[in-house]
Amino acid sequence: MPVILLVLGAGFWASRDFQEIAAGVAIFLFGMLMLEDGFKLFSGGFLEVLLEKATASLPKSMGFGILTTTIMQSSSLVSIITISFLSAGLISLLAGVGIVFGANIGTTTGAWLVAGFGLKVNISAYALPMLAVAIVLVFQTNKYLRGAGFVLAGLGFLFLGIHHMKEGFEAFKDQFDLTRFALSGLVGLVVYTLVGAAATVVMQSSHATMTLIITALAAGQISYENALALAIGANIGTTITAIIGAMTANYQGKRLALAHLIFNVVTAGIALAFIGPLRLLVDTIAAGVGIPDNDFSLKLAVFHTVFNTLGVLVMLPLMRRLIIFLERAIIPPKEDLSKPKYLSDAVDEFPQTAEVALRQEVKHLYDNAVELIAHGLNLHRKNIFTTKDIAATVRASRRPVDFDLDERYEARVKTLYAAIVEFTTRVGTKDMPTDVMDDVYILRDVAGRIVRAVKSVKHLRGNASRYTERPQGAVTELYNQLRTEIARILVEIRQLDLADPKDRSPLWLDQQRVQVEQDARDTNDRIEGLIRKRQLDASVATSFLNDSHYAYSAMRDLLGAARAYYIAPEDALAEVEHILGLEDEELGSLVANALGDTHDDVTQ
Amino acid sequence: MGLESTIEKLDKYFDRLEQGKAQKIEPEHVDEVIRKLEARAQQLEAELADTHKDAKKERVWQKIELVHKQKDRALWLKEKLCEAP
Repeated sequence: MPVILLVLGAGFWASRDFQEIAAGVAIFLFGMLMLEDGFKLFSGGFLEVLLEKATASLPKSMGFGILTTTIMQSSSLVSIITISFLSAGLISLLAGVGIVFGANIGTTTGAWLVAGFGLKVNISAYALPMLAVAIVLVFQTNKYLRGAGFVLAGLGFLFLGIHHMKEGFEAFKDQFDLTRFALSGLVGLVVYTLVGAAATVVMQSSHATMTLIITALAAGQISYENALALAIGANIGTTITAIIGAMTANYQGKRLALAHLIFNVVTAGIALAFIGPLRLLVDTIAAGVGIPDNDFSLKLAVFHTVFNTLGVLVMLPLMRRLIIFLERAIIPPKEDLSKPKYLSDAVDEFPQTAEVALRQEVKHLYDNAVELIAHGLNLHRKNIFTTKDIAATVRASRRPVDFDLDERYEARVKTLYAAIVEFTTRVGTKDMPTDVMDDVYILRDVAGRIVRAVKSVKHLRGNASRYTERPQGAVTELYNQLRTEIARILVEIRQLDLADPKDRSPLWLDQQRVQVEQDARDTNDRIEGLIRKRQLDASVATSFLNDSHYAYSAMRDLLGAARAYYIAPEDALAEVEHILGLEDEELGSLVANALGDTHDDVTQ
Repeated sequence: MGLESTIEKLDKYFDRLEQGKAQKIEPEHVDEVIRKLEARAQQLEAELADTHKDAKKERVWQKIELVHKQKDRALWLKEKLCEAP
């Protein structure tokens, strides 16, 4: 940064026109930032739903990359959204690479816009009214109107920036002749490619570099040959944005950034190696479409499109190999169950990815919790999930599982829960749509219930192990019953998870909820009976009642968490499920009625 | 299984719908939930046929019974939604 500031200071001192060019670049970049902010406000589902649907095949992914980059005029924004989606597990690596390839073609429309429209029309005449209308929209409370305001302001600033760059170069050429620095031959190619790459790294926008190149070329300040090299360099420099974006992403995001780098470097290499034939091809195309021979700005736009398209054509047949290479080059980190798998800074920028990543992380927490709950009760998931007789399997599972539940809780549950709470808090500070935030808070509560269930089992573990390790009469049966009931709930939730999402409903769990309340009520009567018959010592009975309280709390929390987690994703269906589901108060009356029926049956 | 809480929840839903805070439930949405419940009932009946232990039979049977009650509630809900202006 100090170097950049020094260069700017020296430039400002040396020339007023340099100030205008630098201000033009600054206004242009500011416009791009506003454009990005504007599109982010639209990403309340629309952009993400589109991305999700438009990546079903490679041609679709590429088409999506071309289209979105053309509309947004920022391949960097498209790359960052793609990395975010890839990190959240919403799209495949192949689809991600397809989008990046498409974005490289889409970004060439920017050069056409500047060369074909920006230089030939007085675009500042459009810029100022656009900015005036934009500011009215930006102050609206509706987020989509605000988004439209930012997009319009962004375009206005882009136009204004181009205007100042053009004006600056026009005046600059009267004082200085930059063509004195023109280099021909191989040296010129290499030097200007590096300059183009460096300029793009500094400005973080190949679009801005291309605009600068085209305006300088139109003012005759750089040679056509050097402009071609600068354009090639800009393509290499632009990969830096994706690399920065991938730093906070998971390994998939990093793979995509590497793919972007490889693609752009290979494309640049091809363009440099075949610069002569490419120039001829550009001349032929330009003549074919009626571009005058001396209109180097438009010819540069043709060159930009040709070499990016050529890059895609060369890389497409190598796509599968590229994917294999990426998968080998960046190996997924060895799974650490104590660390969040899906939550990262890369996913919390966009509502859809934030929600999906959180949902997956909550599932990750649940899977860890199930291991702890099962082992805490000296059960093995494999056995309880495959048996046809859960009670018998639980009775037979007597050997204590040797592990430190407190330590495992800290490592695999508490850390994940902390990450989930931190993530939801962070997401809450962003401008997320209300419905997304509602879902985010529901998922945070689901995580809370899962954690409470594990804590309850922690309390239960000591006596559950002590009284079930070997048969000790009635007390062993009582603890086995608690273990069986918890195991049944884990099995029910697993069945719900494995079912086809189109067929499953949290209503499936209602009978289990009734059962839990019925069993909880039966427990007291049963204990009293056992004490009366002197089959249970009063102090043991007190401990058991205490433990059964923890066990039923764990069951209620697990069922409550699953009911909220597996609610239908479509709002109207979720409403139906909510209306039809049993409320907690209803469970009590249902159980009372059932018990009443039983008593009636007994007395009859 | 009484309908009191369902009626209460339906009233609350209509209030939220009026305030624009809920998505409109179409009869097809209820049909979709009924389809899910029927699929669940079939699955449970298959499980019942494969069960020999009396206690387990009883539990599966209770589940089937509740699914039927939930289906009745869903049919009632559909009727109410069709009647609503």
